[in-house]
Amino acid sequence: MKIQRHGATLGLIAAGALLLTACGSDNNAPAGATGGASAPASAEQVDCTGKAKLNAEGSSAQKTAIESFVQVYQQKCKGADLAYNASGSGAGVKQFNAAQVDFGGSDSPLSKDKGEVDAAATRCQSNPAWNIPLVFGPVAISYKLDGVTDLTVSGEVAAKIFNGTVKKWNDPAIAALNSSAKLPDKDITVVYRSDESGTTDNFQKYLTAASKGAWTQGDGKAFKGGLGEGKEKSAGVAQAVASVDGAVTYVEWSFAQDNKLSVAKIDNGGGAVELTPETVGKAIDGAKIKGEGNDLVLDLNSIYASTAAGTYPLILATYEIVCSKGYDADTAKAVKAFLTVAATDGQAGLSDAGYAPLPKAFQDKILTAIKAIA
Amino acid sequence: MSTDTADLSRLATPPTFQSVSTARKAKNLTATVLVGLAFLIAVVPLVWVLYTVVQRGFPVVLNADWWQKSLSGLLSRQTGGGVYHAIYGTLVQGLVCGLISVPIGLFVAVYLVEYGGRSRLSKATTFMVDILTGVPSIVAALFVYSLWITTFGFGRSGFAVSLALVLLMVPVIVRTTEEMLKIVPDELREASYALGIPKWKTIVKIVIPTALSGILTGVMLALARVMGETAPVLVLAAYAPYINYNLFDGPMASLPLLMTSERNNPTEAGFDRIWGAAITLVLIITLFNLLATVISRWLAPKTK
Repeated sequence: MKIQRHGATLGLIAAGALLLTACGSDNNAPAGATGGASAPASAEQVDCTGKAKLNAEGSSAQKTAIESFVQVYQQKCKGADLAYNASGSGAGVKQFNAAQVDFGGSDSPLSKDKGEVDAAATRCQSNPAWNIPLVFGPVAISYKLDGVTDLTVSGEVAAKIFNGTVKKWNDPAIAALNSSAKLPDKDITVVYRSDESGTTDNFQKYLTAASKGAWTQGDGKAFKGGLGEGKEKSAGVAQAVASVDGAVTYVEWSFAQDNKLSVAKIDNGGGAVELTPETVGKAIDGAKIKGEGNDLVLDLNSIYASTAAGTYPLILATYEIVCSKGYDADTAKAVKAFLTVAATDGQAGLSDAGYAPLPKAFQDKILTAIKAIA
Repeated sequence: MSTDTADLSRLATPPTFQSVSTARKAKNLTATVLVGLAFLIAVVPLVWVLYTVVQRGFPVVLNADWWQKSLSGLLSRQTGGGVYHAIYGTLVQGLVCGLISVPIGLFVAVYLVEYGGRSRLSKATTFMVDILTGVPSIVAALFVYSLWITTFGFGRSGFAVSLALVLLMVPVIVRTTEEMLKIVPDELREASYALGIPKWKTIVKIVIPTALSGILTGVMLALARVMGETAPVLVLAAYAPYINYNLFDGPMASLPLLMTSERNNPTEAGFDRIWGAAITLVLIITLFNLLATVISRWLAPKTK
């Protein structure tokens, strides 16, 4: 009978749908490992009773850091999870202000001129939004040059490379800082971010602050050096440099590591400084805060223009943009729990992921702000 | 008059084509080579793509975890985990889209073929369907974004994706169903009317069952097509590395979205995930196409 046949078809589809929802697991913890055993238990109490799944979006610079925070968060709070869409700082702010995500990630604080501050306040039920600088990613001046793995640049030389004043790898300006290196007579291929990026913005701010006037192009999210080859996203520029001998770019440290690029030391007046978690930690410690109260907006010039010995100045501060008040109770609890875990136990895994852990004094400031979220 | 038999065996006029001229041979050869080349040009990329996808993706999908787990709690550079969350998202978004578009498409097609005739409304409908067919998926996605999310104030969700896919799927279903209904012989309808059966009953009991196998094939093909769409998931759903069973709330993964989001992951694990997801998507769509063939054979009207 026809009718029976149709019934059978429908039955098959229904059975398939049932089967689909039956199995499937989020558990990716390695078998045999007891959760949380490796992470040092901190004194910080975490309230895991908030909503289970958080939703965040924003800067791709902090993606890997957030992923490692999520791992620790899941050990602390069973069944909790967070989705982080690394669609860029601009998208992060936009989606946060449209109340599509619980918190946003951005390479630059909310801008008053663009109306972002007001829009965020509206989203937070007329409460101010806070910028919390949770993740510090060193930006690496990464290059690929056959035979040269140890290179030092100063802010001034970096500016000249990226605006085209210095065109060859064996230019006297570079050679003066690298007396021991055998620099080849090769063209410098500058690779820059073709999409709008907080990394570009911060890098150009650094050049403005540290180049003793060699960088006159200003800052902004688009690259203004006026030369080179544009590639999309951090992954794109890193891959481009990895495939061209003589190429140089600025990219988050983790991408330089993942693509096995050489990273230049920076001489900011106190000698050549290698990029390590310690030298970056020192730089963060020297940062001044220009935001009010718990709105921890950083004064980046205090880092970039620093000439203190042993500090690596080229760092990208990425903020979590949260509501000070105005979340529903469940969301507020979960946001606080996640950020607390991130600022405490989450710090341990950061250096492996290419970021710098927060120095103690700075961590305390951030925890105060997180606790104040209501 | 006696006829000479020898005359009969001889042709009255010499044969027109005695031998094929060189020019014609050359033309024939050129055409053969050109057609053969065109065939090669069409097939080479296809085989190449399939080969690459299978070669890079197959080792990844052999792992049982791939089909049962999500990517929750894994770093970009960590291998392991699976794409259950994305498979679930792709299938559910596609099926819900199908549930909405099939009735709409079916009714529109029935109207056009059985009732509309050459009325102004039916002409306008056909015109609109034609336009809808040409709408790029990104436009459908942005339309739903502005309507569902900006205007109505709902959050981004898997359901919003389904809505955008509906816009893409309805015209395809209308088109195929229309063609299928048109080839149902008028004699069947007339025989039914002659027995005094009302028009609606004729459509439900005679016309649609006769065309059913073709209609279902069309539906399956349309489903397979929309499940690979990338633009709507990019615009309308946020990616989640964990399993989200709720179509109406929260970020939801799907295979195309997983691939786009892992494209920014330069590590070995990222490549594995992309190729694995690619072959998974190809497999699922192949499965749907096979299902379409089986169903159409199964439901085809028996001619004997």
